[in-house]
Order: sequence, then C-alpha cells, then structure tokens
Amino acid sequence: MESVIRILKNANKEQLLKKTLEKVHDNQELCNSFVTIMDNAKLNPESDSVLSNIPYVLKDNYSTKGILTTGSSNTLKDYIPPFSSTVYEKLSLAGAIMVAKSVMDEFGMGGTGLTGHTGIVRNPWDTSLIAGGSSAGSAASVAAGVVPFAIGSDTGDSVRKPAAHCGIVGYKPTYGMISRWGLLPFASSLDHVGVFARTVSDVAIVVDVLKGKDEKDMTTWDSSNINLEAHLNDSVNGKKLFYFKELCDISFYENPSDDLKKVIEEFNNTINVIKRIGIDVVEESFPKELLDAIPSVYTCISCAEATSNMSNLTGIIFGPRETGNINEMIINHRTLNFSSLIKRRFIIGSYVLQRENQEKYFVNALRVRNRIVRLMKEKFNNYDGLILPCSASHAPKIHGTTDVIRQDLATLENHMAIGNFGGFPSITIPNGMIDGLPIGVNITGNIYDDENVLAIASHIADSMPYEGQIAGDNK
Amino acid sequence: MDFTKDLVDKFAKDLLIGLTPEENKMVLDEFKVIESGMDKIANIPNISEEDVMTHPLEYDNVSLRDDLSVRELSTEEVLQNAKCKTEEEIIVPKVVM
Repeated sequence: MESVIRILKNANKEQLLKKTLEKVHDNQELCNSFVTIMDNAKLNPESDSVLSNIPYVLKDNYSTKGILTTGSSNTLKDYIPPFSSTVYEKLSLAGAIMVAKSVMDEFGMGGTGLTGHTGIVRNPWDTSLIAGGSSAGSAASVAAGVVPFAIGSDTGDSVRKPAAHCGIVGYKPTYGMISRWGLLPFASSLDHVGVFARTVSDVAIVVDVLKGKDEKDMTTWDSSNINLEAHLNDSVNGKKLFYFKELCDISFYENPSDDLKKVIEEFNNTINVIKRIGIDVVEESFPKELLDAIPSVYTCISCAEATSNMSNLTGIIFGPRETGNINEMIINHRTLNFSSLIKRRFIIGSYVLQRENQEKYFVNALRVRNRIVRLMKEKFNNYDGLILPCSASHAPKIHGTTDVIRQDLATLENHMAIGNFGGFPSITIPNGMIDGLPIGVNITGNIYDDENVLAIASHIADSMPYEGQIAGDNK
Repeated sequence: MDFTKDLVDKFAKDLLIGLTPEENKMVLDEFKVIESGMDKIANIPNISEEDVMTHPLEYDNVSLRDDLSVRELSTEEVLQNAKCKTEEEIIVPKVVM
C-alpha cells in the first residue's frame, strides 16, 4: 500500500501542522494519549528529506532536551533532560515535527496502557477498551489518524501488541539496528526501538531514517547495506513461513472462548490468503514446555534488569525530593511516586538476583532463553519467518484488565517476547476484525533479515483490506 | 528460601520501598505464578547443560571509544532539574549525621 508519509510529502505543510495539532487535542479528549502537547511546534525549512515537516508522536521515554520526559512516572513528573536521545535527534535532523509525547505504562512495564501517571489510555476504536501497552498513546494516536507514524519501544511486545489492538502496523527491527541512546532503560538486553504506522511502507521509511551505528550505544551495528523501503516489492514467491500448532490448533485449548475461536478462524483465513500469493505456510511443532515458560522467563529477566537499571531513581538526583533524612527521602520518594506495579516488579527482580536464588530463577531463565532462541534459529534455517496471532482476543475492556500476572495467562498472549529474547525483527500487521474490532498477526524472522521480513509483511498486508484503516472511519 | 510476607517486606526495605498490605499480597500472589513456572523450567530435560544467554547478539568486534574531554552542559542546564539550589550550586541532603 502506498505510504501515507509519501502522500503527505506534497501536502501544504502549514495546513498539515495546524490540522494535526487540532487532531492531537481531539485525540487527547477521546483517548488521553499524550503527556505533553507541542502547541508551539514550528515548521522546519522544507528539505528533500522524506520526513521533512511530517508530524509524529514520540513515546515519553525518549529523552528530549528541554522538553518534559516522564516515562509516565510520578518519579520523573517534572524531569527535563539536558540532552536528547539519538532517535529524537535523527528525526529532528530529518525535519520531522514532534507534535506530542505519548502516555505509556510506567517505564514501559506493563501491557495495558493503564498505569501512566497522567491516566489511562483508551482505544480509539472503542473507548471502553484498552489500547494495549506499553506504547499505548503512540498506538492510539496513529490508529486515530492523528499522525502518520509514532515512535514506541518494545521490551516484551510493547509495540507489536498495541498495534494489534489498535489495528495498525507495529515493527521492531533487529536488536541494535536503532540506537537506544537516551531511551529510559527498562531491561537492556530486551529493549528495542519500534515504530507504529498504518502501512508497512511507512514503518520501513521511518526505520530507514533511524537505523545506523551510534558511538553512544555500543549495541548498535552497521546497517548501511540495508534499505527496507527499496526491498518492499521484492518477490515473495516461494518464501516459507511456519506457525506453532501448539498455539494455532484450537484442539490444544481447554474450553476456548468464542473470541479465541474467532481469532484462530481469522488466522486460518489469513494463512489461505498468504498461500494464494505464493508463500508456503507450514505447521510446525515447538516444545510446549518452552512455550509455557515464556512468561516466567520474561518476568525473571526483565524484572532483574529493571531493578538494576532504575536504582538511580531516588529522588535525590532528579524527580520530586521528599522530606526527612537521606534514607527517609529515598523511601518516601519511591513509596509515594512508584506505582504498585513497579514496586512489585522491583521486589521480584531483587529476589531472583539474590545469590541463593540466582541459579533457580535468573540463570535458569537465561538458559531457557538460549534454548528458545537456538531452536528458533534452527527453524529459520528452513523458513523465512514465524507467523502467529498476536493475542487471544481483540483489545480487552478497560474495566477488569490488570497487569497482575495470572496463573492462566495464555502463552498465546506472550509469545512475542521470543522476538526480544533473540533480538529478532518482528512486525504486526492487522489481519481481521472481531465484532467490529481489529486484531493482528505477527511475523518474526531471523536477525539481520529485516528486508525479507518487511517484504513478506508488505505483500501479505497488500492482500488484505485492513492496512491503512483509521479507527472510526467506518462509523 | 520460601517467599513469605516477611521476606517481601525485607526486600522492600532493602530496596527502600514502602509497601501497603495489599501490595505485599499482590507480590506473593504474582510470585506463586512465577514460582510455578520456574519449577517447570527446572524440570526441562538437560536445561542445566544449556548455555546462558545474556544478550541477543554476539559482538566480536567491540572496542571502547577514546575518551574525549568535552563540556556538555552549562551551569544553567545542570541546575535545571534541581529543586533545591543556590545561584550556582545544588543543595544536597545531609548524608553524615
């Protein structure tokens, strides 16, 4: 599908900016997507850059010099960074205009969009539903047609799950393809920069601008030989995808819900569409015990890394300084300003890192991570990618949704963390509707194979009627 | 080591975090799920022989960049986030009592 960004390239940019800011305020009222709105945003001198004067939304965990950066946490509610993230600098250099910074789950720890310090984010398709998280406001603003693209971050599925719930495209490239300098860290070995848009072409365009080695982030690598947009139309005839029968065969579920049955039905419809465009899709098996271990492995690793990464949030260096002696200041700061979810994650992270617990929890989690990634890479020797539904239903209701880890948490809701375990390129595209609400399908490929993954996603999206949709357009 | 209410409070204290009784219970409930998952992991065949994976990519050509002395921040920028300050200094809490 033609890129929205390229269509806007020839628009009257003054009118575009004015109209976009109006939409930002409308969306704020409808969905509460934003922490900061840049009402004074100005046009840049027009240039040849594809992003010249294209408006966008930035998740509020990217440092922006002189502009409030909160991570949607009370602990940073008045923090103004003295430096900018590489992502923000590259977009500014390309002439793009940041029109707002978006609400997220506090520090990216959550999958609902309900834990930001400025309130919950609502789904523009139905405001009684969550937008998904953690990049909730970024997803909601793209889905509502406010901006052609938005930046998110993805540690477990925080771009790809909200993309599914909001009926848009969400892509996280191979680990280290985009610099994370200036991104507030959650779990460093899992954190990725990600992009939302309504078309595959648009996420390709934005990542082409953002990618590249950065001396400030030693996990970045030279991707100068990669051009995502240029390869979107490469032939996909003869490509091969696989899916896990353990997740996609309804007979593996006890008492499946009606929503799950519909998700699987839409998935099978999508498989048929994919086969018709010349891509082979094969059912494969994956050790059930490894799939079932994904939520626990993710929790152990991410909580352990987060506990370490966020130990500087004391209220002494930045953030609201509380009263008392130095210990009381820190205790009061962390007690009063962290949400319940963050406190719980820190305690679990601290527990699994205790010397006497490390082997059972943290080290075993790292071993399972290795085995899952090793087996995935063996699959990628024979296949171009893994394709799976993104969740067991459309976006759930706000009322009743929590971030509490539940015993019955379905593996289907957590499998996308595989993409973070291995640093694999992974993209969500919309693939259907259930009761008038969007759902998505996810495609994950081998590291460094981003061009191939995006070309496959682009051809599949082109074969279905959901790419480019805007929430509310059919009402 | 069993994960108990008292242990949750001990870890909270070590982390300089205060918990309500409800938050303490939520930690315990969540941990039961993780514990159950990790027990299953411990029983995965030959898992103890598996290498650990701390990072998604292998970097075999990483070198430290040279240190460069540059002046990044002005005094004004340094003071920007400090709530307690004099004209050119941040007032820090008393550490030695």
